[in-house]
Amino acid sequence: MMKRLMIAAFAATIGLVASACGGSSEKLYLFNWIYYIPEDVIEDFSKETGIQVIVDSYASNEEMYNKIVGGGDGYDIVVPSGDYVSIMIAEGLLEPIDTSRLANYGNLDPAAVARIGFDPGNRYSVPFMMAAAGVSVNRTKVSGYEHSWSVFDRSDLGGRMTMLDDMREVLGAALKSLGYSVNDPDPAHIEEARRVVERWKPNLVKFDAESFAKSFASGEFWVVQGYAENVFIEYPEARRAEVDFFFPKEGMPMYMDSFCVLRGAKNVERAYAFIDYMLRPDVAARVADYLMLPSPNVPARALMKVEPNYDFDDLARGEFKEDLGREALKLYNDAWRRIRVGN
Amino acid sequence: MRREPGGLYAAPSTIWLTVFFLAPLAIIVAYSFLTPGVRGGVEWKPTLDAYRAIANPTFAKVTLNTILVAIGATAITLLIALPCGYYMARSERQTLLLMLVMIPFWTNFLIRIYAWIAILGNEGFLNDILLALGLVDESVQFLYNRGAVMLVLVYTYLPYAILPLYSTIDKFDFSLLEAARDLGASKLGAITRVLLPNVKGGILTAFLFTFIPIFGAYAVPLLVGGTESYMLGNLIADELTKSRDWPLASAISLVITLVTTIGVLLLLRANGASTLGGAREAKAEPEPAFGGAR
Amino acid sequence: MSRPAARKRSSFSRSVFVGTIVFLSLPLLVLVLYSFNESKSGAWTGFSVKWYVKLFTDSPQLWRAFGNSAVVALASAFVATVIGTLGAVAVNWYRFRLRKYLRTLTFMPMILPEIIIGVSLLVFFSGIGLRLSLFTVFVAHVSFNLPFVFLLVLARLEEFDFSIIEAARDLGASDGQTLLRVILPISAPGIISGFLTAVTLSLEDFVITFFVTGPGATTLPLYVYSAIRFGVSPVINALSVVMILGTVLLTWSTRNFLKYIAAK
Repeated sequence: MMKRLMIAAFAATIGLVASACGGSSEKLYLFNWIYYIPEDVIEDFSKETGIQVIVDSYASNEEMYNKIVGGGDGYDIVVPSGDYVSIMIAEGLLEPIDTSRLANYGNLDPAAVARIGFDPGNRYSVPFMMAAAGVSVNRTKVSGYEHSWSVFDRSDLGGRMTMLDDMREVLGAALKSLGYSVNDPDPAHIEEARRVVERWKPNLVKFDAESFAKSFASGEFWVVQGYAENVFIEYPEARRAEVDFFFPKEGMPMYMDSFCVLRGAKNVERAYAFIDYMLRPDVAARVADYLMLPSPNVPARALMKVEPNYDFDDLARGEFKEDLGREALKLYNDAWRRIRVGN
Repeated sequence: MRREPGGLYAAPSTIWLTVFFLAPLAIIVAYSFLTPGVRGGVEWKPTLDAYRAIANPTFAKVTLNTILVAIGATAITLLIALPCGYYMARSERQTLLLMLVMIPFWTNFLIRIYAWIAILGNEGFLNDILLALGLVDESVQFLYNRGAVMLVLVYTYLPYAILPLYSTIDKFDFSLLEAARDLGASKLGAITRVLLPNVKGGILTAFLFTFIPIFGAYAVPLLVGGTESYMLGNLIADELTKSRDWPLASAISLVITLVTTIGVLLLLRANGASTLGGAREAKAEPEPAFGGAR
Repeated sequence: MSRPAARKRSSFSRSVFVGTIVFLSLPLLVLVLYSFNESKSGAWTGFSVKWYVKLFTDSPQLWRAFGNSAVVALASAFVATVIGTLGAVAVNWYRFRLRKYLRTLTFMPMILPEIIIGVSLLVFFSGIGLRLSLFTVFVAHVSFNLPFVFLLVLARLEEFDFSIIEAARDLGASDGQTLLRVILPISAPGIISGFLTAVTLSLEDFVITFFVTGPGATTLPLYVYSAIRFGVSPVINALSVVMILGTVLLTWSTRNFLKYIAAK
């Protein structure tokens, strides 16, 4: 009895393992931000090309980067933000990309591409989306505020406001509110920015980069720093007019997320096929519609069915986050740790 | 004389745990004395920087918060779990009751945490009910503070405390309680003087199963805690994945490891308990778990 | 025993127990409710089964994660059960050189917070240059499952005396025969509960897996974790309800199965 049971369990296990590893179809390993590309877009790519895309997701650049350096480097394509593109280039983690092999590369907005400082000439990266975190305010609950970072000084909204759990976004906001660069390496300025965040902190419920949008949509939080796509996808469609999404007048950190091919990728040809597919106007329009964001893909803009929540002119105040370098990074880390730990 | 097969049977688990548990811990020890790499990893330059950083008073606040939350949540958990285990052990429908206790185990705990957020939020069920009943005038802020963290921790670890208590109490000879009552002890007296000393192994197990995971909690303070609910687990994860200071993360991990290990050993010694599991309580002559007389 | 009298006296413990069960199942009730909610956000807008339809027809990534979880859970539970059972048999009945060492070693993973096991394994894998993948997840899961199987089997074995082995030997059984015909059958309840516990722990684990997962190795808890960045999609609520039902069924049938074995 026992023996037969064990054999059955063993056979079932082997069968499952085999079915999980099996399937010799062509594969492509994509490491992407969660919900950045709708699942049906990826399915259509598979139908067209016969390439099976294995998608894993991450919620922050740090999470992605640590996975890659920690030994999880079997991916073909990753989608880092600009500062991480330059870090990964410097670390030799990326494969050069020959943009002439991408038939649809010319669709990208030259004005957007021209702002790229993290990978001049796009030798390692192909732009996907350009965006920034802003501030969302629930108009039905809050009034008499300016489109400024100073909204986080409102102690009467204590317990109803959140900022991102993201060092660069929060310190970047504080630096901008002081009139400095989001990449400022000056220790005195970083210290000043830390004090600003400490001043905001008592008014914040928490630092949250994960579920603020849901809680904002349910009316739990009234003022959140975060990404427009998160907030609007979560907010009930009929009531979206209640949301005032803005970029503070002082400016804000912004980012360009780009497709990159990992060094040593096994499926480079397929990676090119995928990136080129994503650059196709109809596909780019579907993605931008889903995210309700402006598309850096010029012909895609005419095909979009949804009005984006902001356009590229609104991003003019933004400043790209760049790699800070070792010394400044340590200062930022220390400041952020002091804020989080609360001394 | 026949050759004993014990060594053969023991070899796989000994090798597995040595390679995939002990060796990784040893590497943590080594890493805690090295210099952090520019962008993650380590450089092979020995330093005590990580330990100097820990000695910094900024960390004391996190440690203190962690200890307070862990002790508070564990105490509440045990106070609830004891009567539950007692009731289950005395019931005739034990399988059904066991299933009731186990069911929450089988849904993903992150999803359950989100359900709590839906219940406790300013716009959540609880506030809706309180407002409808007129008990409060405006929403009460239940979430995003230490209380919320403790509540969800108690919720998460209650089954882990109930099960060992139940299995120990189940082996307890209840006629002893009746004997105590017959000798004139009050009900409470009988329970505290007769039942509790006899099930202390189960209490110890329940304590360890609750206190230790709470001490290393990461997800719960992250999700339902506020700006003041930062715990050691969050610190380790942030140092490892965000600040990328592997030596510091290693050093904090090592300190926690030492504290829990020493704490557990002292507790076991003090209680004279043999091992985890409570099952051994039923045995007349317990055998020491490690380093004992035999 | 005077059970009826006992029951009457335990009214305090009964009310605590009932309260506890309400407390434990409250979030599940909310999940069930939400899984039938038409709208995506918190407010109730109407009854709908659309999230269940989406779950079964249009969630390929979720099911891939589910498949990974199932593979890892079964494989790691199986290996942990085989290794852990042998270890428990050795520790309970035989003397060998590293006996104390093994006892301590099986004890330690249980007294360390998960995050430390996760961190140390990540550092270890990256140190020896092992690529993170479903295999590293499997290894990690065996490591934390093993001690539980070991202890559960050991608890069962302790109810038996060494004389049972001696009797088998006196009757001329070899070591192998003793193991298969005597030891395994009597420890079966411990082995089965060890295996089920291991499967459960593996399916549930988030923290350790988070650190050691690699390309194509997203498990269900990891999928859920990344999905909640945008707030829980009601599809995940629907999945939880399906899982709860599956669990109840499984527990029920295991119980009957055990009864069936016991009756034989």
